[in-house]
Amino acid sequence: MKLLLVGMNHRTAPLDLRERLAVDEPGPVLRKLVAGAEIEEAVLLSTCNRVELVVLTREIEAARLRLRSLFRRELAPDGAGPAEQELEASLYEYQNSDAMRHVLRVASSLDSMVVGEPQILGQAKDAYRAAVECGAAGPILGRLFQHAFATAKRVRSETRIAERPVSVARVAVDLAAQIFESFAEKRALLVGAGEMIELALRALRGAGLEAISVANRTAERAARLAVQFGATAHGLDELPSLLADADVVLTSIGGVAPWLTRPLAERVLRARRGRPMLVIDIGVPRNADPEIDALDDVYRYDLDDLAAIANENAEERRREQARAESIVEAEQQRFDGWFAALRAVPTIRQLRARVEAIRAGEVEKALPRLRLDDPAREAVDALTRAIVNKILHAPLARLREEAEREEGIAHLETTRLLFALDDAEPGSTDSGPGGGDPEPA
Amino acid sequence: MVVGVLQYLTAGLYLLASLAAGAGFTLARPAMLRAAVGVLAAGALAHAASFTLLHTAVAAPPLTHLPSALSFMALVGTVGFLLLAWRARLAGLVALVAPMSCLGVAAAVFSGPAAADGRIAGTGSLPHAHVLLASAGLALLGLAGLAGLSFLVEHRRLKRKRLVASGAWPSLEALDRAGAFAVVVGFPLLTLGVVTGSLWERSATGAFFSGDPHETFCLIAWAIYGVLVAVRFGARQPAARCALTSIAGFAFLGLAMLGVELL
Repeated sequence: MKLLLVGMNHRTAPLDLRERLAVDEPGPVLRKLVAGAEIEEAVLLSTCNRVELVVLTREIEAARLRLRSLFRRELAPDGAGPAEQELEASLYEYQNSDAMRHVLRVASSLDSMVVGEPQILGQAKDAYRAAVECGAAGPILGRLFQHAFATAKRVRSETRIAERPVSVARVAVDLAAQIFESFAEKRALLVGAGEMIELALRALRGAGLEAISVANRTAERAARLAVQFGATAHGLDELPSLLADADVVLTSIGGVAPWLTRPLAERVLRARRGRPMLVIDIGVPRNADPEIDALDDVYRYDLDDLAAIANENAEERRREQARAESIVEAEQQRFDGWFAALRAVPTIRQLRARVEAIRAGEVEKALPRLRLDDPAREAVDALTRAIVNKILHAPLARLREEAEREEGIAHLETTRLLFALDDAEPGSTDSGPGGGDPEPA
Repeated sequence: MVVGVLQYLTAGLYLLASLAAGAGFTLARPAMLRAAVGVLAAGALAHAASFTLLHTAVAAPPLTHLPSALSFMALVGTVGFLLLAWRARLAGLVALVAPMSCLGVAAAVFSGPAAADGRIAGTGSLPHAHVLLASAGLALLGLAGLAGLSFLVEHRRLKRKRLVASGAWPSLEALDRAGAFAVVVGFPLLTLGVVTGSLWERSATGAFFSGDPHETFCLIAWAIYGVLVAVRFGARQPAARCALTSIAGFAFLGLAMLGVELL
């Protein structure tokens, strides 16, 4: 049995291609895949940054062709898949150990656009759940994904890879959390209605801030954001009165001079009676006069300050990434050992069947001559069974151990040769490589 | 005997809490800080048990003995912190509270058993009321000072545009509220301590005020802290200035009340 992973991500494929091939409902795709003879199990992970299929197969070449054909013709909803050249440049492929490592790295957020971001683990869990629900994920991919989730948990608890925010919006939320005890009764004022403001607004909403006012030059854009996020829309002329109630101010509007001047801030602070105010100025040129830094109750951060924090945090994450990679490496080797031991399963099963057939045949021949009553016949049957089991126990255990190593393949071959397991045997109970119970018996 | 064992246990638990808090703060691990708060709470239980046993075993426990008073202050400060940490995100403050509590108990443990104070005889419950109220007030004002110190460190860091891993340190708002709460409860207790001290003086000597250095400095320190409290709540100072006030006020109180005792 082989593991095969084929996919594309934010590093290999442009956004428009990822968007075209993104799969909202993986069930039908997965059912179709496992219905074919070449693929035993399959999981499809589709997020805004990646589309990946990991499959278990006995025929690696056939599976490769099947997955490539899927990417080329079947994933695009209108059937108009990408051109051959575009697809070849975007797809990557991993087999066995490399595929395992990739799954572990993805779940641990080491392959993400923002290393350490937490969403990917939930997305991987959803992808696995969807595969289980439609019957596409079996015991081996199940084991791989459970191992990946455990590895991700280890990475998060043993390293600090996810601790520090690296986006401007998340840094703003963290700054607010270091000033305010809770966002429940706080009010945010957003000045402007651009993309950065929207991102920050999403992050603040996600952190629990509910009372939000949006002020903008053009009332329509402010109204659009206000409707989208359940905020109130205002004109810029209302800023002084809005400021008095605002605990978090996010500003990004064009203009030559800063609108939040020191005299205005002083006036507002008097009205606020000592309550602190966080000012996130992401405007270029700056919207808040740096002189307001001198006021005790104002904490002002401009784009450079936020970028410096974000960069410092990204550097910290990179340092932690090396530790996370070594955890992934160790976990991949553990899974690799388990997966390799599966190679011994067909040989062990065949050997047991062969020996059992011999034992049963010989007992069957001997019993009529012995003329035994029923309890005695059962005792003979149990005796021969016990002898066979005891003789086989040590060699089978050794075979399982050896199968975890690359050299173990030679032992498996020798066993098959010595016991003639590849010779045609009428009535053999072999269910084929990897069939049935996936545990290394 | 049991009191001694409990005191050693308390000191050990406070020390453990200090080490865990120090590690949690240095490594920015909120889970370690929360664990330190748990250990501190266990220490406070042992501390309360030893204090209760001391009061049931001895008719007039030697609380006027400075190390015993420090130990009691450590208990009140610790319980005050635990109550605040239960209501707000203040676990990070354990990095300052636990070492202070540990020092307070260590003073009692290593100073040995105190001799009974002759001045207490025949003066009823006033000496106890004085020491308990003044110590509790001082402990809470000390807690306000620690919250103020933490606030200023955090305030300066944010003003210098630095961000630490979230969750490792309390928010400015939580520190400000904790400081205000400690002052609001601590200052009236201290005031009652001053009043009961004067009544004790009167029952012992016939005068409310004898003019000895301890009384003089305590009265001046109480009056100065009173002015600071009035300015803090009356004039709605910025939180950073309130924090500075709490530190300066407690430093002066500590110097006046404990420094004079030690001299």
